[in-house]
Amino acid sequence: MVDAQMVREFTDLLSENGVITDEVGLRSYECDGLTGFRQVPALVVLPRDAEEVAGAVRLCAEYGMPFVARGAGTGLSGGAMPVADGVVISLQKLRRILEIDVENRRAVLEPGVYNLEISKAAAPHGLYYAPDPSSQQVCTIGGNVAENSGGAHCLKYGFTTNHVLEMEVVLADGSVVTLGGPTGEQAGPDLRGLFIGSEGTLGVCTKVTVRLLQTPQSVRTVLADFPSIEAAGDTVGDIVDAAIIPAAVEMMDSLAMEASEAATGAGLTVDSPAALIIELDGPADEVEAEFEQLTAICERHGATRLHVPQEAEERQKVWKGRKAAFAAVGRISPDYIVQDGVVPRTRLAEVLTRIADMGRDAGLRVANVFHAGDGNLHPLVLYSEAAGEHDAAEKLSTDIAELCVELGGSLSGEHGIGTDKACSMPAMFSEDDLGVMHRVRLAFDPDSRCNPGKLFPTPRLCGERPGKYQPHPLEEAGVIERL
Amino acid sequence: MTIHPTTGPGPDFSSERGEKTSPERADVLGGAATSLGHGSFDDHHPPAQELLDDCVHCGFCLPTCPTYALWGEEMDSPRGRIYLMEMAKKGEIPLQGAFTTHIDRCLGCMACVTACPSGVQYDRLLEATRPQIERHVPRTRADRWFREAIFTLFPYKRRLRAASIGGALYQKLRPKSMDKLMARVPQRFERLVAMESLLPPVRLRDAFARIAPRTPAVSSPTHPTRRGRVGLLTGCVQDVFFHPVNEATVRVLAAEGWDVIAPREQACCGALGLHAGREAEAAERAKKLIATFERAEVDTIATNVAGCGSSMKEYGELLADDPEWAERASAFAAKVRDISEIVDETLADPRARRHPIEAKVAYHDACHLGHAQKIRTEPRRVLRAIPGVELTELPESEICCGSAGIYNMLQPEAAGDLGRRKADNIRGTGADVLVTANPGCLLQIRKYLDGELPMLHPIQLIDASIRGVRPPEMG
Amino acid sequence: MSTPAVKTVTPTTVDELRDAVLDHPGTLRVAGAGTAADWAGTPAPADTVLDVTGLSGIVTHNPGDMTVEVRAGTPFAALQDELAQHHQRVAVDPARAAEGATLGGLFATADSGPRSLQYGSLRDLVIGATVVLPDGTTARSGGHVIKNVAGYDLTKVLHGAHGTLAVIAGLVLRLHPAPRSTPTAAVPTDRAGMADLARRVADSPVEAVAVQWHADRLLVLFEGSEDGADARARRLVETVGGELLAANEATAAWDAHGAAVRARPEGRAVFRLGVIPAALPGVLDGLEADAGALTEVTASPRTGIATVALPADADLVAAAHRRVAEAGGTSSLRQRPDGASLPAFGPAPASAVLLRAVAASLDPEQRLGRGRLAPWVPLPETTGVTA
Repeated sequence: MVDAQMVREFTDLLSENGVITDEVGLRSYECDGLTGFRQVPALVVLPRDAEEVAGAVRLCAEYGMPFVARGAGTGLSGGAMPVADGVVISLQKLRRILEIDVENRRAVLEPGVYNLEISKAAAPHGLYYAPDPSSQQVCTIGGNVAENSGGAHCLKYGFTTNHVLEMEVVLADGSVVTLGGPTGEQAGPDLRGLFIGSEGTLGVCTKVTVRLLQTPQSVRTVLADFPSIEAAGDTVGDIVDAAIIPAAVEMMDSLAMEASEAATGAGLTVDSPAALIIELDGPADEVEAEFEQLTAICERHGATRLHVPQEAEERQKVWKGRKAAFAAVGRISPDYIVQDGVVPRTRLAEVLTRIADMGRDAGLRVANVFHAGDGNLHPLVLYSEAAGEHDAAEKLSTDIAELCVELGGSLSGEHGIGTDKACSMPAMFSEDDLGVMHRVRLAFDPDSRCNPGKLFPTPRLCGERPGKYQPHPLEEAGVIERL
Repeated sequence: MTIHPTTGPGPDFSSERGEKTSPERADVLGGAATSLGHGSFDDHHPPAQELLDDCVHCGFCLPTCPTYALWGEEMDSPRGRIYLMEMAKKGEIPLQGAFTTHIDRCLGCMACVTACPSGVQYDRLLEATRPQIERHVPRTRADRWFREAIFTLFPYKRRLRAASIGGALYQKLRPKSMDKLMARVPQRFERLVAMESLLPPVRLRDAFARIAPRTPAVSSPTHPTRRGRVGLLTGCVQDVFFHPVNEATVRVLAAEGWDVIAPREQACCGALGLHAGREAEAAERAKKLIATFERAEVDTIATNVAGCGSSMKEYGELLADDPEWAERASAFAAKVRDISEIVDETLADPRARRHPIEAKVAYHDACHLGHAQKIRTEPRRVLRAIPGVELTELPESEICCGSAGIYNMLQPEAAGDLGRRKADNIRGTGADVLVTANPGCLLQIRKYLDGELPMLHPIQLIDASIRGVRPPEMG
Repeated sequence: MSTPAVKTVTPTTVDELRDAVLDHPGTLRVAGAGTAADWAGTPAPADTVLDVTGLSGIVTHNPGDMTVEVRAGTPFAALQDELAQHHQRVAVDPARAAEGATLGGLFATADSGPRSLQYGSLRDLVIGATVVLPDGTTARSGGHVIKNVAGYDLTKVLHGAHGTLAVIAGLVLRLHPAPRSTPTAAVPTDRAGMADLARRVADSPVEAVAVQWHADRLLVLFEGSEDGADARARRLVETVGGELLAANEATAAWDAHGAAVRARPEGRAVFRLGVIPAALPGVLDGLEADAGALTEVTASPRTGIATVALPADADLVAAAHRRVAEAGGTSSLRQRPDGASLPAFGPAPASAVLLRAVAASLDPEQRLGRGRLAPWVPLPETTGVTA
């Protein structure tokens, strides 16, 4: 529990306005981008630098308080939802770009730097930071590390884990360690890789060194409309078979396009059943040659329109149409749930057909926006809270995620497990799998004070869904515990 | 995604919250206010639930919010403020206290409206919320006095002119030691310090000059016909402190073939009051202005002040409930154009020749123009139409300079931080001149860039180009 | 203290592997093709050798999904041959592959080759794993899809674990299309000039997938279509000089490069280091100042990774580790003469605390690969065999 003594210690430790204790302030932090899960924290602290972060974590350790690190609070899995009676450590004051090292092509960043800011700062040197989650204008690099964020261009360029070289991390006891190093190669086990994507359960990252890439010489983008989702899906298959690795292949269905077009005026064809946004980048000559191949493949599959934006500005407009799609769905439905599942790419058509069937059975509309190149789906389940459709929508959404697992895929491609999908984890992982993950967690954080209640299924959270989760034998034996 | 208010270990915090909220709510409303279904708000135009529901909490607004850029605190972000409105609407928190603090700190710059992919109308939410605060939250005596002082002075040209005499004298006589003295003024008087330092250098001749009520279009053998009749809002601060901008506006309009009508009896449009939540006062001013321009029988109503344009375009909503005025207000609003929109429309068929002005020009988007009216390309186009002008973009162009109506007087500290930030960004461009279409921005930015480079309204640059003279302040 | 007889077991399925771990109490040493048996820390004598070469072959390969699940004991070269029939590949090229190294072995030793500039190492391509813990727990992490953030990326912690923590039974990898053309340009330069030259290569829009300095030449590898890759290689030669190698010359050049990396020169130890790229020339000069002329030098001036041979002297090797650590880099010892007692790693980083905690959690009795990560993970107090 928070008492006056504790608040005083935090206040003394942190710079001015570093502690929030009033109820209105605290409630502002009760959820992240996923508002369905809420929890008022006991305290919110806003350190200004890594030293203050370490100090705050040490104080939490002294008082045995659980804590949750928070970036911009844009996560869609409730990963930054506070823990009851715990502390939220907001990293929004650690926003400095510490270094753009042009010669060695890397950037050193504080965790609160917005993803897009990195590329903006690197642009004058002909460099950029490759992972580009759709929320890149607001999501922070610290959050990207926690979630191992991808983005539309990760098909070719990989995820956060492929671009982070080194991190400074504050562990649960307040000690500071460096994970990774100046090169991709490291002596000894890759703890950096383990930390990335651990959703804040292993520590708080306070400094990140990322690789910067050379801006491609040439970028070509096509927005292609198709008479059916299947035709669009087959096009993607043929592109892969032709040994072309596009920088990005995105698919949108008509419902998603309707919403996005209303929001952005990006030039999407609203009544087209499906569209692909395909981008190639690289050396000019080869991009040109592959682009010809690509448009031929699109035409072979009956593309009804090929829009090729010529200027960078026009291209950005098309991308805006794609990247704003989630939030734009708010325009065509009072409420909606964003799902995030992955299937092997070759099963895209199958999963989409089944999602459509499931939506029909549930009497709900489902819009689809997804990274077709890597099979990462984002079905958006539309519903009306006022019409009492919430539970049906939630069930449909969860069923879709678990369907992805059934088809050989994953519960999450980029949004993370967080609070939202912790209860579905047993659908993808056995007790043993989860048990081993938890053992690693305890090695980092023996008291489970870093973001407890996330990622791992907890009886308390998942109790309402009996049959899904069985306690691990080790747990029953008291060897491990799950919080 | 059920709501699990009690997830996670530890005691149930939510029940504690539940116990706290009801008594606080009763305190504020005293049990007397009519709040049926609106929680802590009364039922006179509270923020509409549908508008609140539009927000999906995605956070795309955060990076463009000036106060979030400064402090990084959720409560001082658009998403956070909407969340507070939502809580107040449910009656979970009172208006008094933290709620008012965070809403007061909003600059109303509307950068969030531009950034929002869900189409949340934060402008309407804020305009619905501020009057609720004005009605229900008693302000401290000093705060009340200061606000009254602003609204007793600024919307009145005569009073501003009188003040300008004092101001001009004061600036002439102001001893250098005054800076030191002001620096030592205690914290609680910081607003007065802010007001003092905002006083622009004004020539009394300009302050007392008046725009001719009627200026005929310049006709030529090639263009014998007029484009039409434009009514010009001369504004309050604009006309007293930036009179040359009005003169330039009239000259450009006339040169481009418009008859310009500037009714003498026009008064304040009510923008300052509207943006500060003084709804009743704003409505009265709106009615008077509508009547004035109805009598002038104009096709278009032009303004060169972003804040005024933004509020005049909203007269329809402001007076929607008034059966006598609703239709007249909509008709008026439909005629309102920013000067850059009008000039931009003439570019297809320009009548006045532009002479070259060799200059690197930084254009600052006034929030009430860029965000509130979504007018971003027009001013840039009309500036680019001047031969020799090289237009440069400002980093963080979407972030407010801190002026925001009367914000820099009410919240001087935040405004100061934002002003310095904007000044740094302007300096970084190495521009020869800064142009922006709002007197508030000019006053604010001047404070942090005084003397470093000329600052003009875009219309002054166009006017100089048409007349073939050097723009003011640019030698 | 008696020396028990060393048994070797060769499981052929995951279940057999689990049974072997459970049925053979005491310490275990995982062995693959033995190409890196002398890398990292010298293992303490083990009670049982787990020969994983019996766990061989592809489990599933769906070319359309560009993924493959492979048993850990599969020789990497054999896997590449199989994938090549579908015009696909695992986009890494460690030198040891030519000696028959297994996939699991390459992964456990964090080995990578010249193409790591473009594709990273196996850690960047592995998307899932099946592992067996010393307590017999069989666990999976990741999955069969390229994009997947469900659960911890546990596999990563076995990359560079050198057979400690858990036994890798199988890995799932993401694949890349095989390039149609892989021309190489060679530009003569001495070591002092390699960094500047490599920077010019990087700054030109030729998109090299590997840039390696070896035998007084900078080898620049390109991948792509026949026309495209060749044109880029030629453009580079026009800009910075050198020559476009004929196919057989290119093969010879890269073979020689690989041979240098996996060389076992008489009386010398092979030292692998990685530093921030700009620091690499200075660090190499420093090593030379300490230990005399470096031999078998291969260096990537763009990634900052180099492999060199030093005299097999404990003090000199320790000094080399220190020098790299002072430059903020990382180093480990590879091939060395039989029986040479040389420090495998540099000074322990602060994160070694974590490493020990993870080791204590996954393998509390240090059954697996005891001594491999010493001194970062020290040998247990009691050196006797635990039954």
